Amino acid sequence: MTSPSAGPSDPGAASVDAPQAPEPRAPLLDVRGLSYRYPGAQVEALAGLDLAVSSGEFVAVVGANGSGKSTLARLLGGLERPAGATLALACGHDLLTEDGRMAARRDVGVLFQNPENQLVAECVEDDVAFGLENLAWAPEAIGARVDEMLERFWLTELRRREPHLLSGGQKQRTALAGVLAVPRRVLVLDEPTAMLDPAGRSEVLEAVRGLRAGGLAVVYVTQEMDEVVGADRVVALEAGAVVYAGSVGGLFGDGDLLRRLGLGLPVAGELALELAAAGRFLSPLPLTLEELLAVLGEQT
Amino acid sequence: MSDARGMALACREVDFSYEEARAPIPALRGLTFEVGSGQSLALLGASGSGKSTLLQVIKGLDPPEAGDVLLDGSPAGAAGYAELRRQVGLVFQTPELQLFAASAREDVAFGPRRLGWPEADVAAAVDEALELVGLPPDRFGGRHPYALSGGEQRRLALAGVLAMRPRLLLLDEPFVSLDPATRRELAKILSRLRADGVTLVLATHDVDLAWALCDQLLVLDAGRAAAAGPWDFGESGRELLAASRLREPFLVELWRRLGRDPSAAPRTAAAAAVALR
Repeated sequence: MTSPSAGPSDPGAASVDAPQAPEPRAPLLDVRGLSYRYPGAQVEALAGLDLAVSSGEFVAVVGANGSGKSTLARLLGGLERPAGATLALACGHDLLTEDGRMAARRDVGVLFQNPENQLVAECVEDDVAFGLENLAWAPEAIGARVDEMLERFWLTELRRREPHLLSGGQKQRTALAGVLAVPRRVLVLDEPTAMLDPAGRSEVLEAVRGLRAGGLAVVYVTQEMDEVVGADRVVALEAGAVVYAGSVGGLFGDGDLLRRLGLGLPVAGELALELAAAGRFLSPLPLTLEELLAVLGEQT
Repeated sequence: MSDARGMALACREVDFSYEEARAPIPALRGLTFEVGSGQSLALLGASGSGKSTLLQVIKGLDPPEAGDVLLDGSPAGAAGYAELRRQVGLVFQTPELQLFAASAREDVAFGPRRLGWPEADVAAAVDEALELVGLPPDRFGGRHPYALSGGEQRRLALAGVLAMRPRLLLLDEPFVSLDPATRRELAKILSRLRADGVTLVLATHDVDLAWALCDQLLVLDAGRAAAAGPWDFGESGRELLAASRLREPFLVELWRRLGRDPSAAPRTAAAAAVALR
């Protein structure tokens, strides 16, 4: 299988991960009415949530603290048992059954916020190999796969480095390489850049954005409005349910909804709103520095 | 001892190492910088560059192996230093993990009570701190900390430090994992403390918030000061930011790209809008 060609630094160009082609158009993630309640909690963390994500899609998930984003990430990865759902399929596996969740854990990779908690081995390449060893892959196959992953996430030179000597961005890329060494069809990321410095943040974001070219379905949970901008679609949660699902522009164009959900705009958009309040209207609403400069340039 | 709201901080040739089985790992090396009373300092640098360690050394949780941490000009051991150190507040990363009491009010009261304050003073300090972080005591005082949202818990933990009325406030990545609305609220609280004259040291990866809130910066690189002093967006300053895995603040880059003087860039979107309107 080959992927559409992309830039040389595009990690998604390296290969396609999916071990078999998904049914055309059938979503890889398809959950309806998904609910979950933490033991002893008064309210549901997820309350009838609907979400469908297809192969090659990059879907951002946003929402205030406590809206259910992290719970959703864990459930999609088969790491928790849903309290209920009318449908809960991940790569065709039923998340409502123990067997289904076990199978889902193979096909759905989950990357968490803190890279410190996700690295287990003595050096980078051993860490990347860890999941494959657990699956009892043949040593030669592991070696080839690890080389491919190191190359894809710009880690080849660091392969013998001990994890504690890595920068935050390098650690998170190592964790990502480890998650994706096992062939996956879906990748769920829960605020993967929250702990990183600006350079590490760009590295991880660039690595992740390239993945959909390889056919992976990507669910990207974030509090960083700047990181939402490149997504194909955005889903906003409130009290454990989806209250917006649509285009990035549609979400950022709805000021009332943003306020209600405790969200905001990327800095460029925030500046545009302040300008509008001061009597200068920029259209379309710029979401990046480049868009802001372009629209300011047109107006002068 | 000064009764000013802010406290001056200076570090002189501070060294600190972590004990490891094989060899000590140097975390801070010959670190020298100062922050005037009522000033705010952005503590920047890659993960592992020593930011959290420095905050703990300033607070006195880890004594430096060499060098001095001067509070209002006094070195450790000077008369009154223990009291000065008490007036240094440290807000840990994800401080909400340390909430433990049965109510918000009790949690915030813990610090002042431990300092032996009379109960009436404790109550007044708790009310003031809860009000300051936007958790009015009449509505939130009786709530269980775990019944609060993540953003409210973060603010409650901050109130626990503010109740002891710190003159120097150290914050370790206070914005991590907060939703945009909570982040804006927290930035407002810090900006109010700054206006009140409290000295702030803010360790963060968020250069935009650092630019909005801080007069000066200290960039750490492997425990050394790669830069200390006012923000510098000249060529060498930009190179240093890039070498330290940082970037220019958005508004500074915007100003540069618009052909304006980047060192005169506005600190907030609102100020930028006034200039561009």
